[in-house]
Amino acid sequence: MYFQSFAVTSLLVLFNYAACIDYDGWLNIKIEHSLNCGTEKYCSRGNIALKSIRAGAAVIDQIQFNKQHIDQLKSLADIDSFYTIKTIVTSADNSKGTEFYSSVKAKAFLDNGLSDVINAWVLPNGAVIAVSFQVTNSSQPLPNKSSNKINSNFYLRYVEQAPVPDTATYIQKLEREREAREKGDVKDNKSFLAKYWMYIVPIAIFVMISGASNPEPAAQGGR
Amino acid sequence: MGLLSIYFKSNFLGLLKCLNKLNWFIVFFSLINLSVCIYEDQIGKFDWRQTYVGRIKFSQFDTVSTAKKIIVATEENVLAALNLKTGQVVWRHVFESASTGNIQLLAITDKVVTVSGANPYLVRGWDSATGVLQWEWSLSLENDDQSDFSEWWVQNDLLIHMLPVFGSHLEVSMYHLATGQNRGYTSKLPASWARDSSCVVTPPYYTCISGEKGSQQLISLDVTSQAVQLITRPLSEYVNLETYDGGIRAVDGSSVIPAFTIEDKKIIMIKNNKFEMLTTNVGDASASVALIDIANGPVVLQAWMDDNQGFTMTAHSVATGAELPELRVTDRNLKLPDPEVSSAVCTKSNREQLVCRVLFNCGDDSMHLMQQGGRVLWSREEALANVVAIEFVELPVSDLDAAIESEFDQKEAAKMYSSIWAAFSRRLQTQFTQLQTLIQSIQRGEGLEEDAPSALVRDYFGLHKIIVLVTDVGKIFGMDNLSGAILWQYYEADLDTEGVVVFTRRTARHPPNDAYLTVVGKQEGTGNGLIISLNPITGTLIGERLLKLDVQLLQCTLLHRPDNEKLHALILLDKEENVQVLPRSAAPLVENMFMYVAERNTARVQGYALVFNGQEVEAIRTWLIQLGGAAGARIVRALAKPPAERVHSPGRVLPDRSVLYKYVNPNLVLFVTEGPDPVHKDVVVATCVDAASGAIVAAQVHRRARALPHAVHTEHYLAYLYYNDKHRRTEIATLELYEGKTRWLPAGAAFSSLSSERAPSVERQAFILSAAPTAAATTVTERSLTDKHVLLALSSGAVVEVPWVYLEARRGGSGEEGVVLPAHAPELPLSGDARLNYNRTLARPAAIHAAPAGLESTSLVLTTGLDLFYTRVAPSKTFDLLKDDFDYYLITVVLAGLIVATYSTKYFASRKMLKQAWK
Repeated sequence: MYFQSFAVTSLLVLFNYAACIDYDGWLNIKIEHSLNCGTEKYCSRGNIALKSIRAGAAVIDQIQFNKQHIDQLKSLADIDSFYTIKTIVTSADNSKGTEFYSSVKAKAFLDNGLSDVINAWVLPNGAVIAVSFQVTNSSQPLPNKSSNKINSNFYLRYVEQAPVPDTATYIQKLEREREAREKGDVKDNKSFLAKYWMYIVPIAIFVMISGASNPEPAAQGGR
Repeated sequence: MGLLSIYFKSNFLGLLKCLNKLNWFIVFFSLINLSVCIYEDQIGKFDWRQTYVGRIKFSQFDTVSTAKKIIVATEENVLAALNLKTGQVVWRHVFESASTGNIQLLAITDKVVTVSGANPYLVRGWDSATGVLQWEWSLSLENDDQSDFSEWWVQNDLLIHMLPVFGSHLEVSMYHLATGQNRGYTSKLPASWARDSSCVVTPPYYTCISGEKGSQQLISLDVTSQAVQLITRPLSEYVNLETYDGGIRAVDGSSVIPAFTIEDKKIIMIKNNKFEMLTTNVGDASASVALIDIANGPVVLQAWMDDNQGFTMTAHSVATGAELPELRVTDRNLKLPDPEVSSAVCTKSNREQLVCRVLFNCGDDSMHLMQQGGRVLWSREEALANVVAIEFVELPVSDLDAAIESEFDQKEAAKMYSSIWAAFSRRLQTQFTQLQTLIQSIQRGEGLEEDAPSALVRDYFGLHKIIVLVTDVGKIFGMDNLSGAILWQYYEADLDTEGVVVFTRRTARHPPNDAYLTVVGKQEGTGNGLIISLNPITGTLIGERLLKLDVQLLQCTLLHRPDNEKLHALILLDKEENVQVLPRSAAPLVENMFMYVAERNTARVQGYALVFNGQEVEAIRTWLIQLGGAAGARIVRALAKPPAERVHSPGRVLPDRSVLYKYVNPNLVLFVTEGPDPVHKDVVVATCVDAASGAIVAAQVHRRARALPHAVHTEHYLAYLYYNDKHRRTEIATLELYEGKTRWLPAGAAFSSLSSERAPSVERQAFILSAAPTAAATTVTERSLTDKHVLLALSSGAVVEVPWVYLEARRGGSGEEGVVLPAHAPELPLSGDARLNYNRTLARPAAIHAAPAGLESTSLVLTTGLDLFYTRVAPSKTFDLLKDDFDYYLITVVLAGLIVATYSTKYFASRKMLKQAWK
């Protein structure tokens, strides 16, 4: 059983993701930010809707930034402050919604032409544990238009199942080794020379050397 | 060759015989020579162990046996015998730490008798000389909810168990002490006057204050007598009922006379079935009162601690009320906070002199044995049985070394000695002082050698340090790491040490500024912040001294950048999300600081960016994640990297000569959470969170598992322990984070959490641990050149060193530079020689702390728990140190021989040349 699941993990990554999720359902991520909101603290920036967590395909719908948005972002960038995004995640069994916050440096967001990466991490039971925003390092200058589109890439990340101590393959390996040893005991009928040549050769060399050097003192004695 | 064969032929049989004999010798010696991981003569050379018993619950002088001992039963569920002369542990039994090990009674007859547990109870008899268990029987009560109110005592070889049912009756049972045989019945004595809050047991009497306010009665009953005889007196006879607040307390100590105090003022004893008020009043509201029996009759012993007058002990005769002057002690310098007379014994010596021994149990968990006249024979600091935080502190260099160091300090030298002459004169000056100290040391050496055995200055290898230990009770100790001796202690009764943290804010490397250590804890009761700043070398308060904040703290950290005085500022985030910087002048230095606050029970983690806005530092909440999702989970462990950690190499060389770069993110925090799951019962989720940006770097989930609060996290790897519910075993999961075969950032570029959107590759593995771990840590060395080993403390009392290669995900192949890694096995080997504490078993190891030594190869390790064990480990062997048994003699002889041989051959060669020239 272990071996099976191990094979699944190693071979079919995509399927593995699907296998990780015990639960399937819809997911809705409401994105809010605090730019150009008037009196309220946070106002809507857009929405990400997923039909199925298992499939992971998302529909991203976001507003376009107008001049006020950009101006406020620029004033944040001047003091090197953060652009904070609030997300509210709702799903079939969590209609109340879970709140998350994430921030990027306003300056980096502007410099990269309002493009960001959104990662949402999902537990196997379908619960979202984090929605984090990061700026992609694309270095696109901000197009000088009255309205700007936000370039968001959304990734649904699954919390993978941790590996378990791999006992099955280890036992198999041990058994294979044992079998090999048993077979080896029966089959080891190599010739004496083939088995012990590594001991015989040095002795032979030693004998040869001493044999070669022995006559010399005899010759000297003869002189 | 020919000669050799001749020799062999004639002696071949002899040789075989000889080998045969040797065989037996080998077997024989292998039996004696048990394999140990250090040489026998090295035992105790680099390590020490201190055994503790915990705060005293009961104590009794063992006057029955010949070897004088004190038997103690403690709050830590330990039964031990202490040597009366030295205070050392003679024998010790550590019971279960749960309620099943609670000691309810300690009595000494001819055996030491204990009652332990909580329904069922175990009654055991121990031999007082050896501590060997003699007999044991168990007892379970039918009435389980009431059993907590049980009272036990021993009377005439009978164990008496009394269970009050408040407002109704008392159930009294008697058992034969050694066998547990019941006398046949449980007597129920009517006692409708018994109240929960106002009753005391003074064997064999059960006394209550009962009745309406204004007309209270003092009612007492001998529960062991056959006939029910109530002793009733109106309370107004003893105290003024107008001011009476309901206080009634049995006297301290294991007294033989039934007595109690009312309102902490009057002492009343029961004699001949009558209340008898003593003429002696309680000396101080906080005094501990005990009645002891001495030759001239019973004596009231009182002891208390006063802020102005210091420690006071008085003794009055019960019969006459006269004071015994020989037992009076007043000592202004003796500091025994909240002393309690735990037990006392007095005998008359041959010369009609009183010889008294009083064991005091103090509010700081220390115990002191005092004799008459106020001399403290020995003290035991039992607070050390509950250490909650540890810090290793470097010692300062000697004054002379400091002068030399400052001379060669590049920056300072450039500032001060611009000219060559200034530098020269400075050099002369230092050498003169060096000469002076040399002469002084010679003079002192001729005189008396009574100086401290080792002065508190840094040694050459940096092995000598001071360990600062913060204990549960609020006492802070400074301990010499080489000897284990306590150098200083500081007790703050107001310190609540739950979640206490210790920071070294300035090391001793910056003379003339002293080392600076800060303990951040809570105040008892209010939970507001309490900050203690002290000099870790001397234990004196410095800087902010004792600072009591009027707000609760959420998080605290150190500013990574030191100020002008080389002091790292303390940054505190309080409940209202305000930031305090101590000292205030360091506020402009705050830049790029981030903090996280994790709520243990909801698994909500919030991140803050700290920004200096010109006047003050403010915290902006930048991120929030919910590690349990909407359902909620519990954070079992949150573990960041050790501060100021060094990483020696940014990558690992693979066998094919390519480099695998490590993902070294200094802001990474590991969270291990545990939560319920509809399908898999309990799940454990391990999440690696970047604490600056709030991004999750890696996460994995274990199904049907329960989390354990043990984890390690250094460099690019993490490991944590969990209990696998499915297979019923403990497992260790490891994670290694790599950037890949190419670097993300150019060499030397600073890592930024806010501008990294790439995810590292994660290598995972899990191993079975065939033991129950109680703590985990990694070795730490000065420059991280040395291998890292994981240290695991096991419930069996062992501390085991596991090399990281055994935990690596890529086991089985070949590792760095072709080093063959151990073959893959699902179970982690815990071999006998990997055990750091060889045969010294540690009771209840609770935490391991490792600190670097000055030597790169060595790491200093302290294990705390009921015992303290200190040792040093060298994960890559002591490559920078000669072995302990290095043969200096042999190498000198060989060297001298070589020199002689060189010169003699030179001489002979020249002679030969000369001869040849003459031929």
